[in-house]
Amino acid sequence: MMAPTRRDVLLLSASATAAALIPAGAAEASNGVWQAIDEFTGGALRLEGGVLLDAPEIFDNGGAVPIRVVAEGARRIALFNDGNPNPGVAEFTFGRLVRPEATIRIRLARSQTVYAVAEMEDGTFREASQKIAVTVGGCG
Amino acid sequence: MAEPTPRVKLPRSIEPGVPFTVKTRITHPMHTGERHDSEGALVPRRIINRFVVSYGGEVVISVNLEPAVSADPYIQFEMAVPASGLLEFQWFDDDGSVYSLQKQVEVG
Repeated sequence: MMAPTRRDVLLLSASATAAALIPAGAAEASNGVWQAIDEFTGGALRLEGGVLLDAPEIFDNGGAVPIRVVAEGARRIALFNDGNPNPGVAEFTFGRLVRPEATIRIRLARSQTVYAVAEMEDGTFREASQKIAVTVGGCG
Repeated sequence: MAEPTPRVKLPRSIEPGVPFTVKTRITHPMHTGERHDSEGALVPRRIINRFVVSYGGEVVISVNLEPAVSADPYIQFEMAVPASGLLEFQWFDDDGSVYSLQKQVEVG
């Protein structure tokens, strides 16, 4: 187990005080993103905070948008989108030797919201989201 | 399609228990199954659907990938090892192919 950095400690303490329930179906999405997230969580409630989703607010090339996600204490992290034909993006499962963090490049067919949902070691779920505007969509 | 080529970048020196960054990439078109070719025919889905890294047989990280992952999938993560050992990387293709790469990690 690696020691958390100062930034992570700040992130987690800030999130603990600001923890709030994520409303179910907070926005309309036609690609089934809410069902996909429910499949990942088993329908469990998701709390805000504890997940850092580092992604650009605006990006030129929708074909390769860099995304970094960190959730200290997470066993699994899944990424979802609400504007591509399919809502799934990637799901990471972390072992003992790795930090619960990953960087990946993803395709966004148009401007939309990306969600990171983390399953924590205690079985609870945490979520972060980020709206990303793409200038040129990455063809689905 | 050219044979997918995996690449992995590790730091030059690795200390026991100290986190280091692993950068991975494989050349692959990641056909989503939604796109048409110049003749209007649907290009069938063919993606890398799973990526697994293990160290001395223990899974470090495993990733399920969907068509929303960019062509030439790039994945970066941070890990630490207690001692020297063999780091193994495997990419699983929709067509059943498995592409592998191994790196000997010497700590010290």
